Amino acid sequence: MNREATGESDYLLEVEDLKVHFPVRSGVFARARNWCKAVDGISIRIRSGETYGLVGESGCGKSTLGKAICKLLKPTSGKIRFDGFDLTSASRKEMQPYRRDIQFIFQDPAESLNSRFSVREIFEEPFVIHKMGDSAERSRKVNALLDKVGLPRSSADRFPFEFSGGQRQRIGIARAIALEPKLIVCDEPVSALDVSVQSQILNLLMDIQSEMGLSYMFIAHDLAVVRVISDRIGVMYLGNIVEEASATELFTNPLHEYTKALISAIPIPDPTFQGERVLLRGDVPSPIDPPPGCAFARRSPIEVSEEVASQPSEYIQASEGHWVEVHPATVRNYDEPKAHPRPTVNPLAEPPEAPNPKLGGL
Amino acid sequence: MAFKLRLNPITIRRLKRFRAIKRGFYAFLALCVASIGSLGLELVANSRALIVSYDGSLSFPTYGGVKLGSAYGLEGDAANTPVNYRELRERFRNEGKGNWVLMPLVEYNPNENNSYEGILRATAPSWDRGHYLGTDTTGRDVLARLLYGFRIAIFFALAFSILVYAIGILIGCLMGYFGGWFDLIAQRFIEIWSNIPFLYTVIIVFSILPLSLGLFSRVTVLLLALVAFSWVGLTYYMRTAAYKEKARDYTQAAIALGASPLRVVFRHILPNSLATIVTFLPFMVASAITSVTALDFLGFGFPPPTPSMGELLKQGTDNLSTAPWIVTAAFISLVLILTLVTFVGEAIREAFDPKKFTLYQ
Repeated sequence: MNREATGESDYLLEVEDLKVHFPVRSGVFARARNWCKAVDGISIRIRSGETYGLVGESGCGKSTLGKAICKLLKPTSGKIRFDGFDLTSASRKEMQPYRRDIQFIFQDPAESLNSRFSVREIFEEPFVIHKMGDSAERSRKVNALLDKVGLPRSSADRFPFEFSGGQRQRIGIARAIALEPKLIVCDEPVSALDVSVQSQILNLLMDIQSEMGLSYMFIAHDLAVVRVISDRIGVMYLGNIVEEASATELFTNPLHEYTKALISAIPIPDPTFQGERVLLRGDVPSPIDPPPGCAFARRSPIEVSEEVASQPSEYIQASEGHWVEVHPATVRNYDEPKAHPRPTVNPLAEPPEAPNPKLGGL
Repeated sequence: MAFKLRLNPITIRRLKRFRAIKRGFYAFLALCVASIGSLGLELVANSRALIVSYDGSLSFPTYGGVKLGSAYGLEGDAANTPVNYRELRERFRNEGKGNWVLMPLVEYNPNENNSYEGILRATAPSWDRGHYLGTDTTGRDVLARLLYGFRIAIFFALAFSILVYAIGILIGCLMGYFGGWFDLIAQRFIEIWSNIPFLYTVIIVFSILPLSLGLFSRVTVLLLALVAFSWVGLTYYMRTAAYKEKARDYTQAAIALGASPLRVVFRHILPNSLATIVTFLPFMVASAITSVTALDFLGFGFPPPTPSMGELLKQGTDNLSTAPWIVTAAFISLVLILTLVTFVGEAIREAFDPKKFTLYQ
């Protein structure tokens, strides 16, 4: 894993100006009259061993981004580089070795497991697909996977619908780690589960990470969950990342009004607590025909005139490794970052922060 | 196409439920017994004897080569012609030497013309002669023809269904899985194809076929012609099912693991959409039997002298007043078979009803 020595990029995953647009077809000839811009020019980087949290309300394109990274959706434009290899234009054959390295954990474990397969068949499938091991070795691996995710070995011959939600998610996780991937995209892996089970699954994910040294892209709409698990957090709004910082920085010093609203919405287990709620106006605009200028301006608690709202926003580095979309409607002291100008470059142009300490052991 | 219906708990519950629907289950058993039993039909309806005991040794002439009369001590012309076992039985009985012949239940084979009073004509059911359902206009035993007709019809229908399923599922799955241009072109093709009138095509095909073509090739052509116009219906269901299942997470998970399209289609999509498709099978068998009977009735079905219910119906309706037993027998047996098949279909449909069992509570 010594990438510096090979002179390759420091990052496991680099996403550059990724766009995923869906055609909205109508009319006799089913022409694309419009485009639903689910992901509209996102750039992120994930180091190996790091957990990148991605938050945003439903419909903002989180899952689309995750699926595009796994090549479950075809990106419209942009680049996805994994381990220095450009996945964007790779054929199915070329993708095959990288399928082992990038895995996906789904939100609904019931849906993500084929109900006609027993647990054993579910676990063996990755090995069968990649032609690894004979049947004896596979069955050893099945047992090892069951042990790893804390399921009894007797469950190998049972079927997914015979398990509880948490157990099913454990099966989904075991399938994802079967091929020892380097990156797992977790698409809201705990939001369908009870709170008590959520923490078990989060602990399991973190244990697996420290054991196998893999990276996560952790998608969630619940900031509290993301805070526990992430090293860096990106806040997504309507197909774009509006703020990105390390987990501690984002929670102690949120700049974007949207981030503040999300943080203030985290329930605090104290009935007497009277926090200040940042309330947004209205709903998320449709990604099919977003308003001009800043997509957030019309919902922000900072009210601005329509003229100001239609001005484009900028994406700048406010402090070391803390990127934010600045616009009169999104940041309280709009002029302050401007007063301390930092290079307003694409975050991909230079590494924004020191190497993650977690990487030390790798 | 290697897929199997896995016996997971849901399948087991469905089968249990199918068994609990008595009417359908017994109809299924009856059809199974009849179809499998019809493989040994030669032991039930045949002009050859089951057992012949001659000079203290037993012989079983049902299967195997034709035996000449000399084998049983016949003389003159009879020594060099195939044995007529019914006559042989009478002869042995009259001789009283302890030789005997055991004939099958129905002593006639379906293509044998039996003339009584010297002319070939339809004779009424007669217990004495062993024509339990009478003979048709050319003196062939109606019961024997019905039994052999059933055997041909049921296996023809099964072969037809298997072919239709194979083609329909394959094309439907591919349309649903790949979508896009392939789907678009295949759909337009299907629309055009399904508007070609089936009957005219069959008539044209059969008028072109050379008369020298053997029986087997003619039946194969008929089978292929029927299949060519019947696979379309299944593609609609499979296409929808494949579209639906492809969007589901478990299929996406398999793709993320690197599964090939074939693997996704046959290991994931197909087994999960089979439940809806299986329910059509009995109805497809029923429709195959009906259409082949209808074609026979019109004279475009199995080539003569193949025994078939359609051909008997045709004869029967032509001689409704002079030989009513023909149409009665053919009609009743056709109704019986179709009713049984439909009972099975109903039971399967109910047992596989996805609303009955949900996977997740």
